[in-house]
Amino acid sequence: MIPLTAKIIVKNKNKTVFWLWLPFFLIWIIILPLLAVIAPIIFITALLLLKSGRGKMIASAYFTVFALIGSLSGLKLDIESKENIIYINLI
Amino acid sequence: MNEERKKVLEMLQEGKINAEEADMLLNALSRNKESDTDNTQKTGAPKYLRLTVEPGPESEKQDRVNIRVPLKLIRAGLKLASFIPKDAQTKVNEALHEKGIDADFSKLKPEDLEEILSQINDLTVDVEGKETVRFFCE
Repeated sequence: MIPLTAKIIVKNKNKTVFWLWLPFFLIWIIILPLLAVIAPIIFITALLLLKSGRGKMIASAYFTVFALIGSLSGLKLDIESKENIIYINLI
Repeated sequence: MNEERKKVLEMLQEGKINAEEADMLLNALSRNKESDTDNTQKTGAPKYLRLTVEPGPESEKQDRVNIRVPLKLIRAGLKLASFIPKDAQTKVNEALHEKGIDADFSKLKPEDLEEILSQINDLTVDVEGKETVRFFCE
């Protein structure tokens, strides 16, 4: 599942807190139709380059990018030192 | 009725074992079955790779790290890594070599990763009392 929101918290030694909540679902509304529009171009390019061996690679790379975006959900980084705290969570 | 229970009852019928021994064997068989079921539930396919670093009593930095990476992301990343041009892969390997890591990640296949992940249950590394590094799947 694609990540719908991201929560980023950065706290430094001056106790300054940077808190950010990113509504990824709004970005996907723009990006996903774009990826869908690009898809036919990718496939035509892949078909044209099929003989050279790069066609399969281009098509595979396109699907892998989808897989990569789709698997980002659940990624969590929590790094805490005496002075700094970095917290990133993709939900 | 499964084969093992049937065999025990046959042995009892043939007089090879007495009723008490048959009872003990049947109990042992049912216990094995229960533990097998528990293990199957516990070893469900892991979804995340976790890395935790906890400071030890002698640690000066007191840094804590807790990273959870979806296994799907690692698999997709490995696939994407195979599209990196060979020249770039050589540069990456050289940079790793300079850092003292003699590994060629371009040779790491998804099948190898699956094998590694299947073997990682709970790996704990204690670094000279300074830090405890835990590496496990959940």
